[in-house]
Amino acid sequence: MIATPKNATEDLADVNRVLAGEVEAFEGIVRRWQGPLINMAWRYCRDRGRAEELAQEAFLRAWRGLAQWRHESSFSTWLFALAANVYRSELKRFPTVTVPLEAALEPSGPAAQHSVLAAQLSADSVRRAVLALPLRYREPVVLFYFHEMDLSRAARAMGLPEGTLKARLSRARALLRRRFPRLEAEHAAMEWAGKEA
Amino acid sequence: MNKTGKNHDEMSHNEIDRILAAEEELIPSSGFLASVMESVREEAAAPPPFPFPWKRFVPGMILAAGVLGWGAVELVRYGLPALREISLTPPQISAAVIQPLEQAGWVAGALAVSLLSWLLSRRLAGRSGLL
Repeated sequence: MIATPKNATEDLADVNRVLAGEVEAFEGIVRRWQGPLINMAWRYCRDRGRAEELAQEAFLRAWRGLAQWRHESSFSTWLFALAANVYRSELKRFPTVTVPLEAALEPSGPAAQHSVLAAQLSADSVRRAVLALPLRYREPVVLFYFHEMDLSRAARAMGLPEGTLKARLSRARALLRRRFPRLEAEHAAMEWAGKEA
Repeated sequence: MNKTGKNHDEMSHNEIDRILAAEEELIPSSGFLASVMESVREEAAAPPPFPFPWKRFVPGMILAAGVLGWGAVELVRYGLPALREISLTPPQISAAVIQPLEQAGWVAGALAVSLLSWLLSRRLAGRSGLL
């Protein structure tokens, strides 16, 4: 997911070669960005097979629309925005099966908080609950954390102003907090257990 | 919100951040790259998409618009006198009005058929990806 200057140079070179008719140059782009695009898709659907299908579709769209990259933003920004569009529209057509937010289980029982397994279960519940958020709140959460909590990159990927994204993130967090009121107690318990150990 | 409530929110906010930011990275499956490149090669080898037949479509559209316009003019020409006669002499419909009304009816029918065929062709073209 890291867009280094080296990556940017290689992307530009590969795009130019592809546009000049060298199909095999696209392999470099796929090799560099397959991991990020699959991980991004995974956060949208939490289904490994589907994530790869979505990422493949995103690469194909990128291939078709490569000439539309205007160099106004970095290649990775363009690619992530395109992928977000693909994932959004594909998941609207064929939604993932999710439980309603109210039905997402919150792990209970303070005794269980001390085990690593309980912590993992708790984290998994929160991640799955994100999928149950309404789409307008779900996508900002997915992209914000995918972009390592970089608000401006997430906003660019969604094509939204930063302020709007911030407001939606805040609302999404409020919904999650309401669903998982014991999170802070778990956190405190785990810290306490760590100190005791 | 009081201080305790704020701390409570901040704590769970941080915890949500911690959980959602600490996501394990998926490694692409071994065949992924090959699969994408195979699809790309197929696309590259495929013939270019069938271009929309503008040369045929534009004259057809002009013709259809002409027919529609002519139909509208005819409708007004025959329909308005007929309507006037209806409003002025309602009992005498049979003799003086029936013929223009009949003609107006044909014109209206022709217009409706033209409109339907235009809508149908648009829908078919849309489904085939031409529009």
